[in-house]
Amino acid sequence: MLTNFGIILLFFIIGFIFVGISIAAASLIRPHKPNPIKNATYECGEVALGSPWIRFNTRFYVIALVFLIFDVEIVLLFPWAVVFKGLGWYAFAAMLVFFFILTLGLVYDWGKGYLDWEKPNPIVPVLSDLIDGKK
Amino acid sequence: MFEQDIINKFVTNVGESIQLMQPEVALLITFVLALVFDLIFKKTRSIAGYVAILGFIVTGFLLCTADSANAGGFAQMVAIDPFSNFFKLIILLASLIVVVMSLFSKELYTESRTLGEYYSLIAGMTLAMFLLSSSNNLIMMYLSIEMMSLSSYVLAGYTKEIKRASEASLKYVIYGAISSGIMIYGISLIFGLTGTLNLYEINSFLANADINLWALLVPTLMIIAGIGYKISIVPFHFWTPDVYEGAPVTITALLSVASKAAGFAMLIRFIKVGFVDSMFGGDFWAVLHLDWQHIIALLSVLTMTLGNLVALWQTNVKRLLAYSSIAHAGYMLMGLTVMNDAGVAAVLIYFFVYLFMNLGAFFFVLLIANKTGSEDIEDYQGLGYKAPAISVCMVIFLVSLTGLPPTAGFIGKLYIFTALLQNPDFIWLAVVGVINSVISLAFYVKVFRNMYLRKVDEAKETFKFSIPSIVLMFALAIPTLLFGIYFSPIVNWAEQSVGIFLR
Amino acid sequence: MEDLLFYLFAFVVIGSASVVVLSKNIMYSAFSLLFTFFGVAGLYVLLFADFVALTQIMVYIGGILVLIIFGVLLTTKITGVDIKSGTTGKVQLITASVVVVIIAISLILLFTNVEWVNQEFVQPNTTIDSIGFAFMTKYLLPFEIAAVLLLIALVGATLIARRK
Repeated sequence: MLTNFGIILLFFIIGFIFVGISIAAASLIRPHKPNPIKNATYECGEVALGSPWIRFNTRFYVIALVFLIFDVEIVLLFPWAVVFKGLGWYAFAAMLVFFFILTLGLVYDWGKGYLDWEKPNPIVPVLSDLIDGKK
Repeated sequence: MFEQDIINKFVTNVGESIQLMQPEVALLITFVLALVFDLIFKKTRSIAGYVAILGFIVTGFLLCTADSANAGGFAQMVAIDPFSNFFKLIILLASLIVVVMSLFSKELYTESRTLGEYYSLIAGMTLAMFLLSSSNNLIMMYLSIEMMSLSSYVLAGYTKEIKRASEASLKYVIYGAISSGIMIYGISLIFGLTGTLNLYEINSFLANADINLWALLVPTLMIIAGIGYKISIVPFHFWTPDVYEGAPVTITALLSVASKAAGFAMLIRFIKVGFVDSMFGGDFWAVLHLDWQHIIALLSVLTMTLGNLVALWQTNVKRLLAYSSIAHAGYMLMGLTVMNDAGVAAVLIYFFVYLFMNLGAFFFVLLIANKTGSEDIEDYQGLGYKAPAISVCMVIFLVSLTGLPPTAGFIGKLYIFTALLQNPDFIWLAVVGVINSVISLAFYVKVFRNMYLRKVDEAKETFKFSIPSIVLMFALAIPTLLFGIYFSPIVNWAEQSVGIFLR
Repeated sequence: MEDLLFYLFAFVVIGSASVVVLSKNIMYSAFSLLFTFFGVAGLYVLLFADFVALTQIMVYIGGILVLIIFGVLLTTKITGVDIKSGTTGKVQLITASVVVVIIAISLILLFTNVEWVNQEFVQPNTTIDSIGFAFMTKYLLPFEIAAVLLLIALVGATLIARRK
């Protein structure tokens, strides 16, 4: 087992070395002439306004939560998938119960609309309203 | 690939185990159905509540009609024995009463709140507490404690637009996470020491192997800290007042009775099966070089004294009842101290009694909060004249919580003190318990005085309560009185229920 | 070699965990957690627990860390959050330190003095088979209960996290 993971570790080490060498080489070769415009944040030619640290929308959080729960489910199902061939119907039924209970969670979130992506609902100005002087 | 024999044996075992665990299966189905019905019938907010009530009744039926089994299920993962059945019945009754109470709560039934999750989570929590009271393996114990905690964190913060409710929930989560972390650390140490997580195997390992018993002390203390947090015994009680005050009244009632019962069931089983009741002779509890009985006695003294003394200064009734429930945990620990059947039976009797009186007191708080929107003790002035019927019930509950005859609370305390007095070492503990009961009289009387003895200037308006709520109130008050006079069935039942399944 | 790797991973875990605790910027704390999780996964591999190591990477790094970073992004102030709360006084600090030191000493004594149970150990090729077999036989009930636990967690968490 350790040898297999050793290969993974080797990849890590090579990755670190590779990135380290490229950064070091780049810093040796590249010219270094900064000015304020070069240092500014690139925003497609616009002048950057305000802080980039803005609050995230909560819906990302809910989606990440749902993802986490099903991530754990997959992890728990993985050992089952390895052995169930030798265990037969009994193991299949055991997994079905497990799976059914968790699927209910997905159904619940779906039915309650937690998975819906809340779209912005812009109010389109209507010409006649503008003429009448309403908002 | 694997031996077919082992698998076949397991399939049969699973069949038998499911037979034994019918109540749990019923609860699982209740939980699932409550969620599904809530999704289907979106218009009826209480539909999940009705499903839960129905499911609890079915579960109770299965629990009562089951043969008095004494066996292990799922490869000794759980034990179905009279002891766990007693606690399951208490937990089930508490959950059922709390669900019915919730139907009356104005705090929960505000404009836009959906309540499907509320009732389903109560069903899920009940399932967790069932499993906890019969779990026989440390992994099972940890899983069910986590399941119970997760649902109670959410339930405590269910009215999350109220600031103190979300604060309560957050505090509960943080304390709970730390305590469960400590507990699983202890479990892992026990596994390292004994090589098993099964309580019987731990016991037999201790009997046969020569291990450093001192080393067992650290993990045991860690696990007791984890359970102690759930039942709020004193060094681990800090969350209790804040959570009890912030959570909806119904959930406070559930936490103070049901989850405490499940925690006590686990604590008793952990101590008795793991260390005391040996199948091989010898009491490892005593071998642990420390006088464990005195440690538990000390915890109990701390718990009841602190609970009672701090309760004296409380002005919020929910907070007062929170400290009072800490004190009651202390009384029940006294029964555990003597570590014999009489002590355990006394704890069982106490729990049965505590169920009615504590739920009743919280139901009174709920009904009054429905009318006045306040839980302050000052606002209870003159309630004895404004709401005479339920106030009489409240007086019964208060007398019973103090432990005076002729109420059931007296019987509970009587049996605990009797169990203590059989052991000459613990007479001092009984004396401390009596002194504490006297202190507790002071703050229960404070509630009574506000209700009856303070003059009200306002005109005599009376509160009207719906018939079902008054019926429920009396359904809680009558047993509190009745079992104070006619208690032999409870005592017999509890004495039969001390049998913990031993392999 | 394995000892060397152990100390490497242990160093990574302890170093990054101290950054998590000591950093003033919660974003740095959250990212530093990545290295803690990776280091712990490495320790699991050294203990021949390949399944647990993979779980660590999948669940902790793939799920929980993302969730934590989302949680950080949801807060209004990300940089320069004052971690110290105003109420932590000297008394609490001293009591907490004493308790921590006592626990640490007793754990160190425990780890150095105790004979742990050594079950006969064959270096497994993979542990997933035996874990799967245990899930389906001895630990069937915890396996199913884990599903209920996850369902409760899902229902509760989305309930708390939703906007209304």
